[in-house]
Amino acid sequence: MNLSYLIRRLGAVVVVMAIVTVAVFVITNVLPGNAALMILGENSTPENLAALERQLGLDRPLLVQYFDWVSGILQGDFGMSLRLGLPVAQVVGSAFINSMWLAGIALAGVTLISIPLGALAAIKRGTKYDTIIGVFSYVGTALPEFVTATILLVLFASPGNTIFPAGGFVEPKEDFLAFLNHAVLPVATLGLVLMAHISRQVRSEMSEVLSSDYVRAARLKGLSERRVIWRHTLPNSLAPAVAVISLNIGYLLGGIIVVEEIFAWPGLGRLLIYALQNRDLPVIQAITLVLAVVYALSNLISDLVIAKLDPRVRYA
Amino acid sequence: MPETAPDQPVLEVQNYSMAYDTEAGRVEALKNVSLSVRPGETHAIVGESGSGKTTLAWAIMRYLPDNAHDLNGAILLGGSDLIGMSQVALTDLRGRRVSMVYQDPSSSLNPSMTLGDQVSEVLRRHRGMLPAEARIETEAALKRTGIRDPAAIMKRYPHEASGGEKQRVIIATAFACNPELIIFDEPTTALDILTANQIIELFLKLRDETGVAAIYISHDLGLVSRVADTVSVLYQGEVVEQGDVATVFGAPVHPYTQRLLASLPRPADRLAIDAPNDDAALMTLENVGVCYYAPSLLTRLLEPKTTAVYGARNISFSVKPGELLGVVGESGSGKSTIAKAATGLHPFEGKITFDGKTYENAKAFNREYRRQVQIIFQHPDGSLNPRETIGRILARPLLLYGLVPRVQVADRVAELLEMVLLPREFASRFPHQLSGGQKQRVAIARAFAAEPKLVICDEITASLDVSVQAVMARLLVDLQTRSGAACIFITHDLNLVRQLAHRIVVMRDGAVVESFATENSEQPDRAPYTQDLINAVPVLARPTLPKEIEELLQ
Amino acid sequence: MRKILSSPSGVVGVMLLTVVMSAAAFGPWLAPYDPQLFHAQNRLEGPSIAHWLGTDHYGRDMLSRILNGARSTVLFGLGATALGVCAGSIIGVVAGVEGGRTDSVIMRLLDGMLAMPELLFTLLIVTLLGGGTLQALLAVGVAFTPGMARIARSAVLSVRTREYVLAARARGESRAWIVLREVMPNAIGPIIVEATIRVSFAIMIGATLGFLGLGAQPPSTEWGLMVSEARQFMFRNPWGVIVPGIAIAMTAMGFNLFGDALRDAFDPKRSH
Repeated sequence: MNLSYLIRRLGAVVVVMAIVTVAVFVITNVLPGNAALMILGENSTPENLAALERQLGLDRPLLVQYFDWVSGILQGDFGMSLRLGLPVAQVVGSAFINSMWLAGIALAGVTLISIPLGALAAIKRGTKYDTIIGVFSYVGTALPEFVTATILLVLFASPGNTIFPAGGFVEPKEDFLAFLNHAVLPVATLGLVLMAHISRQVRSEMSEVLSSDYVRAARLKGLSERRVIWRHTLPNSLAPAVAVISLNIGYLLGGIIVVEEIFAWPGLGRLLIYALQNRDLPVIQAITLVLAVVYALSNLISDLVIAKLDPRVRYA
Repeated sequence: MPETAPDQPVLEVQNYSMAYDTEAGRVEALKNVSLSVRPGETHAIVGESGSGKTTLAWAIMRYLPDNAHDLNGAILLGGSDLIGMSQVALTDLRGRRVSMVYQDPSSSLNPSMTLGDQVSEVLRRHRGMLPAEARIETEAALKRTGIRDPAAIMKRYPHEASGGEKQRVIIATAFACNPELIIFDEPTTALDILTANQIIELFLKLRDETGVAAIYISHDLGLVSRVADTVSVLYQGEVVEQGDVATVFGAPVHPYTQRLLASLPRPADRLAIDAPNDDAALMTLENVGVCYYAPSLLTRLLEPKTTAVYGARNISFSVKPGELLGVVGESGSGKSTIAKAATGLHPFEGKITFDGKTYENAKAFNREYRRQVQIIFQHPDGSLNPRETIGRILARPLLLYGLVPRVQVADRVAELLEMVLLPREFASRFPHQLSGGQKQRVAIARAFAAEPKLVICDEITASLDVSVQAVMARLLVDLQTRSGAACIFITHDLNLVRQLAHRIVVMRDGAVVESFATENSEQPDRAPYTQDLINAVPVLARPTLPKEIEELLQ
Repeated sequence: MRKILSSPSGVVGVMLLTVVMSAAAFGPWLAPYDPQLFHAQNRLEGPSIAHWLGTDHYGRDMLSRILNGARSTVLFGLGATALGVCAGSIIGVVAGVEGGRTDSVIMRLLDGMLAMPELLFTLLIVTLLGGGTLQALLAVGVAFTPGMARIARSAVLSVRTREYVLAARARGESRAWIVLREVMPNAIGPIIVEATIRVSFAIMIGATLGFLGLGAQPPSTEWGLMVSEARQFMFRNPWGVIVPGIAIAMTAMGFNLFGDALRDAFDPKRSH
């Protein structure tokens, strides 16, 4: 891993983040009805609207507002929530941690299950295992999260037969078991959809490896099939598998939004919906930025992992 | 499993047929193929594309896809029929009694495993060695293949080794367990000429040392005459001629073999038109260079040792009107790069003078220049737009350059097709309906349609079968005669270029080594590299052939 | 077309699509009841002879509502994707053909827009535009644009290096000619394949927006909205959520399978 590659990649991330901030700022400031209007609601008159706008700093030129915002971020100050009256950093911060719990557990579980599943499907290609896994993944990729969530709720959380709670949240510090109990259904929702996507893609990548010339050469050396799989196929499937996972993180982050809303999980997704409905600009901007940064960093990390795994990768 | 008795053939293929199930129905790939290989014998299998020679190799190794079916016959290794053998038995004898050397060393090695491990694993599997033992034996095996520092190579990964080194590793693996038979599938095709030569020398040495029986698959008859004792000529899945090499190549009986041998390029079979008078040069290249990569400021700061990458540098040569200039070199020599520079496909530095006018960069090439200087590419599959009919493809230069009034375009297109010996009806066909050779002819016709003064041929015969190559070469010379155009013929095939060219330029690693008149190719004052190249490609003596075949090639 | 039907997934895909498309085309006529009509006596019922798929909380016939909603769902998916494909392809082709600085700038901008998860991007835009079906369609179309631009660009790049394009450049053809006659006809394959698969995503996102109340509004028969409305009663009558859920899944799967089969038909070397 050489320094110039790393620097170039980080530089690219910074540039991309800058573009994201501009995009977010532009979009949120074109939203009809600014926050001042939302706060005053029916009581707004042109005078007090103007006064509130001046107080909130909404009357300054956009460029000034933008730089003010960005420089604040770089110092860790995300502004104040227009609706909640709390520092955005605090509100978003705790929501972020809750979301990361959800995403983390889902991602870990999915990785552990669907990579072996995809590998199995590729190895046993054409057999009934492959077909079953194939059908499962096709169905899974056709179900939006809210459908999966609703089905799981009906199955496991109906009032007469409550195996798991239908929603809500318990601080992990307070009661870890209860926390996990509340986490089961949302994680399962996220996980099922992700598993469908990932196992299908892993299967495809691994099939490519299995039909490569060097796997053929290994077989023609008379090596046992076990050695062919473990020493020649799997190691070369790891890098593509990591790539597959990183491709799906964007999907995971999007899925969180819906899942948190359905299960009343107090994370970034739920906060975002609330902020969108209430035009709470600073919160919207902060959440978007945070999600984009998480996504970009996870892409960077997975690129680095791939470079470590695959001795052939040199430059971007 | 009984091993082979000394008087028994190592391999016997008896009347073997197989077919593939494809979308178009059942296709017979091999029809009643029979051959035998005795201990110590090298049996070559020769054929062009579609002959089934590689399929035969997979059939012997019993590694066929699911849609392949054995129809009849037997494949006996040391007397035991491989067909119907259990997977366990096959896994046992692969690598131990029969092994294989592949065409492309880069794709046949596991990219995440060190080279040493890939050799050791066969030793541990079939000779039951412990890891430490296997490592020592691996080093010895690699040393036998002529690798200079085996211990270092063993620790490297495939992408850190050259093509020649990788092929030696594969050969070492194949010989490691002292098999009775090794199948070599075109082992030198992917290597450059000099490295290929070394590998062939290595093969001969190891073969003599171990007495292994070998099947050597190739399309290169000259090569086969050097390495093989006996040969089977395969055509469309059938063995059309078989016997020892001297007989088959010296006095072939089957018309296909005769055609094949007659098609081989021989410097003595001079095809070129008369040399041009000493006119002024038509095109001159002066210190032309093509830069592929110049490190940015940032990279130069962080990694000061990074240098710019040039495809070619300080190239100077000239072409006279009506002349055929051969440009010869191996891959990476820069010959194609220069072709792209001269046709404005890549920016260049230096000066190109054409027809009196000087151009200092690609943007300066105007339409008239582009009409006068045409290019034909190597791959017939990529040269023609799959969505256009042949007629439209040929009409394009006529319309673009305004050479022919619109009403006469169809006639001219028909004339062009006739010129390249294709039927007029092809004008309404699409490229995928034509064979490789036919597509290449359309590409040639397209180039000459513009009535150029110079045609650059970038390895136009490299992707074609030998018999098709011969026709293409004659066609090119014929068109050159008719149109008076000069031609720059880029190739790596020295025998072919000595047949066609008036003068030859030799390139290596992006620079010109030397240039000389063709008749002086074998003079002692040729550069060592040139001499190496010429000696690396043996010329097969002309066999005695019936008159009809001779006439075919005039 | 024959190649698509030769694989089992292709056949299933075509079958599903046929069902869905028929529903979209003929749904309103086939529906046994008026989709907005309340049958107050039969609220929240499961499947029965009178109502094959049951009724919702207002007593409206589910089958009729599903058939009615098919048209708007399919049109939404096709429309949003078409928008994304057109806009994205233009950008991608420009980037791929121009190369150099223009390409770098466009790529950076695309990277910026792709740095946000797609659903997030869509939510921002749909909130910007206010809710509603048309707004949701625009939002999804805009959100698809960067992804499609990437695909179009890479399709163009891979065709640009083909020798027939080099031959055209060497001939001195104008840029317009090269793009329209040599590059586009051959680059369109991968774009169409990706577009087909994206329709299924568009439908799912559209349903999600409907579910969140940001897309179609009541009393629309959009399937996502149906799930959202039935959610309160899902424990009393799960069919209210299951039926539209399955409808969404069938449609998305149909396009997905069809797109996959299309991809294999174009490029038989890929292992699926």
